Amino acid sequence: MASLVGVFAASHGPIIARDWDKMPREHRDKLEAAFDEIGRRLRACRPDILVVVSPDHWVNFFINNLPAVCIGIGDEHDGPPEPFMQKVYPHLLLKGHAAFGRHLLQTALDNEFEPALSHRLRLDHGTCIPLWRAAVSPELPLVPILVNDLEAPMPSIKRCLAWGRLLRRAIETYPEPLRVAVLGTGGLSHSIGEPTMGWIDEEFDHACIKQFENGEERQLDAFLTEALPRTGNGAQEMRDWVIAHAAAGSTGFELIDYFPSPATLVGAGFASWKLPAA
Amino acid sequence: MTDYWLSKLFFDLQNDAKLAADYRADMPAVIGRYPINPELRTALFEDDVGKLAPEVNAYLLRFYFQVRGMPESEFIARLNAMNPADGNAMEKMPHG
Repeated sequence: MASLVGVFAASHGPIIARDWDKMPREHRDKLEAAFDEIGRRLRACRPDILVVVSPDHWVNFFINNLPAVCIGIGDEHDGPPEPFMQKVYPHLLLKGHAAFGRHLLQTALDNEFEPALSHRLRLDHGTCIPLWRAAVSPELPLVPILVNDLEAPMPSIKRCLAWGRLLRRAIETYPEPLRVAVLGTGGLSHSIGEPTMGWIDEEFDHACIKQFENGEERQLDAFLTEALPRTGNGAQEMRDWVIAHAAAGSTGFELIDYFPSPATLVGAGFASWKLPAA
Repeated sequence: MTDYWLSKLFFDLQNDAKLAADYRADMPAVIGRYPINPELRTALFEDDVGKLAPEVNAYLLRFYFQVRGMPESEFIARLNAMNPADGNAMEKMPHG
């Protein structure tokens, strides 16, 4: 059977790639240290597969066909299409893991989940900024899970918790002894393309972190369901953290760092989960 | 409200570099391929961030003004200048 060997979360934002060299040194150092720590921990758990839970920033889907959740089941995926990403992360192809992707898809269908599927996804900055900055090997096979975090109506927090549990079940029932890690990307608070753009809601961020530290699913669900409509739209990406959290068993959250990052317009958060010994 | 064809224009510009180049070279010709209503066409020609913002996804809006070459600081300033009390701008935003 496969085993879950690590669960992580990290912010992303196009400015991290676009303006990395122009950022104030002190600020860049903080981002670098946090991403480095994610990379160090990820490598230490020696994964054979990385499941990346991320939004799609309008590079695969449009409002004429917009899945709530899409699983990438291909043997390969396209690297980031954004020119600013291609400059820093010039990988035209990224490895997938079709067998595990199909197993995750089948496990979902067997458990009354109906995700979309894709044999080939374009993996944008949401997926690739953490991979780039954390120096994840481009040879590591990815199983992308794209979640609609951008366009209302979006999956409920309750459903994202269920997705996390389902992901864990799929890992535990995969017949080969693979080591699987999970990375949720996005968040914390930020506000993009709306009248509050630039706002970093530190009060939300600290409350959110406290909820993850407490771990309890019903409280996390209640908090995010109530708070997300009152903060910037970028915080909707916390769904990806929620899926990671539930995959980890909704316990063991460990904050690596949090700081408001006005240079990148995000409340920058980085976390890993302590997993119970197998 | 979400305006489908305005959204489609922004989506296509994001995902088709040639179209984006064409748009920079001849904006009216590209806009003419989309059945966008006259009011929104005017808003496009006037780079009217406040008028366009409630009609499209916020992320598509951001990308569009990058294609237009508007500095992000100016884009943010124009968004921030939308008065939430006057027309309830936040509530009109479809995705925020």
